[in-house]
Amino acid sequence: MSVNIQQHSNKAKNNILAKLKKQVSGADYSKLPTEQGYQYPEFSNQEYIDQFISHLEANHAQVIKLDEHSIGEVVLNELKDRGISTLLAGKDNPYTSQISDIDSTIAVEFFDFSLASNQQNKDKLFNDIPASITSSHSAIAATGSIVLWPTVNEPRTLSLIPPVHFVVVDAKTLYKDFASLITAQQWQSNLPTNVVLVSGPSKTADIQQTLAYGAHGPKELIVLLLNGKD
Amino acid sequence: MTMPVNNNDESKYAASARSFRANVTRDLSNEELRDNFRGAMDYLMDKRKSAFSNEDELETLRQQCKLIKQRCLLKLPHLLEQLEANLEANGIKVHWAETINEANEIIAQLIAAKKGKSVVKGKSMVSEETALNDYLEDRNIECLESDMGEYIVQLAKEHPSHIIMPAIHQNKKQVADLFTKNIEGFEHTTDVDALIGEGRRVLREKFCQADVGISGVNFAVAETGTLCLVENEGNGRMCTTVPDLHIAITGIEKVVELLDDVPPLLSLLTRSATGQIISTYFNMISSPRKEGEKDGPEEVHLVLLDNGRSQAFADEELRQTLQCIRCGACMNHCPVYTRIGGHAYGTVYPGPIGKIVSPHMLGLEATTNLPTASSLCGACGDVCPVKIPIPKLLVRLRTENVKAKSSVPEVMKGEGSGRKSVEATIWKGWSLIHKSPAIYKLSMWFATRFRGLMPSKLGVWTSVRTAPKLAPKTLHERVKARNSNTTHNNHN
Repeated sequence: MSVNIQQHSNKAKNNILAKLKKQVSGADYSKLPTEQGYQYPEFSNQEYIDQFISHLEANHAQVIKLDEHSIGEVVLNELKDRGISTLLAGKDNPYTSQISDIDSTIAVEFFDFSLASNQQNKDKLFNDIPASITSSHSAIAATGSIVLWPTVNEPRTLSLIPPVHFVVVDAKTLYKDFASLITAQQWQSNLPTNVVLVSGPSKTADIQQTLAYGAHGPKELIVLLLNGKD
Repeated sequence: MTMPVNNNDESKYAASARSFRANVTRDLSNEELRDNFRGAMDYLMDKRKSAFSNEDELETLRQQCKLIKQRCLLKLPHLLEQLEANLEANGIKVHWAETINEANEIIAQLIAAKKGKSVVKGKSMVSEETALNDYLEDRNIECLESDMGEYIVQLAKEHPSHIIMPAIHQNKKQVADLFTKNIEGFEHTTDVDALIGEGRRVLREKFCQADVGISGVNFAVAETGTLCLVENEGNGRMCTTVPDLHIAITGIEKVVELLDDVPPLLSLLTRSATGQIISTYFNMISSPRKEGEKDGPEEVHLVLLDNGRSQAFADEELRQTLQCIRCGACMNHCPVYTRIGGHAYGTVYPGPIGKIVSPHMLGLEATTNLPTASSLCGACGDVCPVKIPIPKLLVRLRTENVKAKSSVPEVMKGEGSGRKSVEATIWKGWSLIHKSPAIYKLSMWFATRFRGLMPSKLGVWTSVRTAPKLAPKTLHERVKARNSNTTHNNHN
C-alpha cells in the first residue's frame, strides 16, 4: 500500500493554505502595532569581555586568555594534563604547526576525510579522536556564546564529536548581543549550510534535575581567548 | 509503543485523554510520582525566576514576542509559502501534511527511498503528536530517541510527561533500575554522571551507525529558509549532522518572518523553560551538505503538519493558542500539573498549554474534561512568555464544550460534547428566573421556605465539603425588614 506522498503533500498544501488565507485575506499589514525591543545595556569593551568570560565559566567552560604565539604551548599542556596524544584540526588551522614544533609526540591530524556515506571515517571520528581544535567566527557577550561557522576545512562534526573541544576566540569579534551581531554582519544574506552558537560543553539535567556534562557532545569546552586584555 | 496502531485517523492519545478522570485518580495516589513532580517544578520555577532578575526587561520582551508571534500568525499563509520557496532554493525539500498519518507516511517513505534502517531522533514533540515511533516500528524501522530524557522514556515504554524535561516523572533510582533491566552489562548505580555516561555510550554508537536523523524545529525562518534548533545535549546536532538523511518535522505555527525575530524569541524561550540565558547549542540549518563539504546530510526534508492548527487559526481568540513557543513555563507553574503530573492528561502536550491545544488536535469529545481541570488561578497566563491568555481560552473552551448543537458550521471538532441535558435545563431555568423579578421573588420564597428539602449529599461537591445551607429568609426580605424597623424607630 504505497500512497503517492507528493500528490498528498500538494493536496495538503492547497487545503492548509486555503483555510489560512480565508481567515486573513483582508488583513492590513500596515496597521501592525510597533514592536519595541529590549536594548541590551551599553558597557565598555572590557566589561563585555568580562561578561563573555563569566557566562562561559558559569556554564562550565574553561577560558584561557593568551596571545597567538602561545596557543601551541597552552594546547599542548592541556592535552598532556589529560593524557591525550591526538588532536584533530581543520586543514587550514594556523596554530597546529606550533604544537608539532614543540612536541612531535602529539599526533596532529587533519579533517581531510569525508563522512558522506563512509562508515569507516565515522567510526574513526567517534572512536579514535579524543580532542579537536577549531576557529570561531564571532562571539556574544550577553550570553557567553561562541559562533561557529563551519567550512569545508572545519566541518560541522569537528566541534561536536571529539570529547574535548578547543576553540580559538578573538575578543575583537565580540558583539554585545545576538541581535546586534545579526544586524552588523547582515546574516540575512549570507547564512552558510550551518551556524551553531555554542555556550558551554554539552550538558543535560534530564535525570532528576541533576546537571551532568558531556551528554552527547564535547565533555569539555576550552576557550582560547585572544585579545582578552586585563 | 505498546499501544496498537490505529488504522483510522484517530490518535492513540484520544483514548488516553478520554480516561482523564481515572488517570488522575491513579496518579494522585502515587506518592513517589507526586514527590518527583513537586521537586522538579520547584526547581524549574526557581530557575526561571533567577533568569528574569530585571522586571522591565522581562515585560518588554514578553510584549515584543507576543507582537512578533501575532504578526507572524497574521501573515502565516504567506510566510509558509515564503518559507517553502526559500528552503527549496537552499536545497531543502518541503512536505505538507494535514493529518498525523499523512506526516508519518511521508517520513516512512522518505526513509524507505534511502533504504534507511536505523533512525535516531532528536527531541520532537510534533513527532510524539504523530506517534511516529509506533508507525515506523510497525514498518520494521527502529527509531531511537536520543535526548537523554526521551531515551529513558522510550526504554520505559512511556511517553514524555513534560515537553521540555520528558523524564521528569522518574527519579534517579527509577532510572538506575530501568538501565539495569534494559542495558546489558550496566552496573547498577544511582550516580547521575554514571547514568548519563552510560546513555552517552549507548547513543554515540547509534549516532555513528544511523542512516537517518529526525528532529523537530523551534523556529523556521521564512526570510532565509533556516531551521533553528534549541538544545543542551548535542543530540540534536548529532541527528541533523551525522546521518545522510535529515528529516525535520514541525507544526505550521513555528514559522517566523524575519531572522531578527529570532534573538528575542530565543532569549525568552530558554529563560522561561529552564532559566538559562541561552541553551548550550543554538543550531541554524540552511541547507544540506554542499559540494566539497565533508559532513552533514546529503538530503534535508521538512514536514509541515497542520493536525488541528488551522482550526484554532480560524477563530481570532483561539488563534492565540498558536503563539506558543513550547517553553513549558505554564506547566511548571500550574498547581494542577504539579499535583497530577504530566501523564494524567493523556495527551501529548500536558498542563495548561495542553488543555488549550489538545482539543484542536484530538477534538473536544476526547478532551472534554481538560478545559474544566483548572482552578483558573491565572499563573499560566502570568508566566507565558508570549502572553497567551490561557485562563481566558480555558473559559472559552468550556463554552464550546457545552454549547448546543446548531446548524452553523462548527468552531471546533467535537464542540458541545460536554453538554448534559440536566445541566443545560438547570441553567435555562436559572436564566429564566433571573430575567423576571416576579418569578425570581416567587422562586426565592419557595427555596427559602422549603430549604429543609435540600439533600445533604450533592454528588462530588460534598465528598470533601459540607453542603451549603439556604437561609430561612431571602436577602430582599431581610433588608426590607431591617428598613421597616429603622423607619419605625425614627418615628419614635
